[in-house]
Amino acid sequence: MHELSLAQSLIDQLLGLAKEHQADRITKVLVTLGPFSGVVRDSFEFGFNILKESQALTRDAELELETPDPVYICLDCGKLSAIPFSHPSDLLDIHSSRPYPKKCPWCCLSRLSPKGGNELILNHVEME
Amino acid sequence: MCDTCGCQLHDHHHHDAKVVEVNRSLLEANQKQAEANRHHIEHMGAVAINLISSPGSGKTTLLERTIEALKETVRIGVIEGDIETERDADRIRAKGVPAVQLTTGGACHLDAPMVHGGLHVLEHFAKGGGYDLIFIENVGNLVCPATFDLGEHRRVVLLSTPEGSDKPAKYPATFKSADLVLITKTDLLPYFDFSVEEATSQSLLLKPDLEILALSATTGAGFDAWLSYLNQLLHHKSR
Repeated sequence: MHELSLAQSLIDQLLGLAKEHQADRITKVLVTLGPFSGVVRDSFEFGFNILKESQALTRDAELELETPDPVYICLDCGKLSAIPFSHPSDLLDIHSSRPYPKKCPWCCLSRLSPKGGNELILNHVEME
Repeated sequence: MCDTCGCQLHDHHHHDAKVVEVNRSLLEANQKQAEANRHHIEHMGAVAINLISSPGSGKTTLLERTIEALKETVRIGVIEGDIETERDADRIRAKGVPAVQLTTGGACHLDAPMVHGGLHVLEHFAKGGGYDLIFIENVGNLVCPATFDLGEHRRVVLLSTPEGSDKPAKYPATFKSADLVLITKTDLLPYFDFSVEEATSQSLLLKPDLEILALSATTGAGFDAWLSYLNQLLHHKSR
């Protein structure tokens, strides 16, 4: 529900950057949303696309989102693994449904602790 | 003529594209204000606790009971976050402690700029007296508040027994961000299918060094451990 306020702070950051670099328009924005950042990709995109219309500088900005897979550390064997979140459409294919709880692919135990993934980063901006 | 815009003028041209590497957090503005809040709170001589939980898991009742136990020895101030009403602040004021109500008007969490405003009002209420301990009671929500640092020194997440012991597994970001998890309403354990063991093990999975306490603000069971957690924090602050 707070995606809109985050999208607004992104717009504010973009306006500041455009001013700093004396650009007339922002064309592309690359943002990374960590898997444990608590931000829903679709809602964030939706919010950004509404808010960008309010400013001439951001009107043409295309938002590109990177959403890395969640990484876990196994509390038993200590190895790291990236295990994608399951998606509702996985349920349509019986062979691709993932087991719960998630298991460490190295030792098959299930004491997986999420590692990092809180990041919400504005990586780079293309402007003219 | 310019190929890009078709204009006849040549001296206003800066169509050259530029890529600016930024690599800064979207939460930068909030984070800066949170750091400023932390300094402000320390300047007031206090430590601050951000209380996060679902609505109705007993944050305000915990505060009422904590104030009763500590108010003779500890100067307490409270910032209350709610979408609407002054009810919680009124409950705290009834205990004889200054309280500021922040009504977010729909926002699902407190952020650092809101708390900044609250701190100034709280400071005004102290009339130069200062505080030792400031509680910031967040909007009841187990999702969004996790993202926003308010400038607190400790983050305490409450989990009440009627909510179910699966909550740490279902809301990992919030429990992972906690310094302490308080299992509340333990007097209701006989009536609900709540496993303290499951809540504990799931929380520790998210953060192996997480502190976990269980208490009932109604019966007072387990309350001493919570009070000594606070006293330790206050002791640590004054050193």
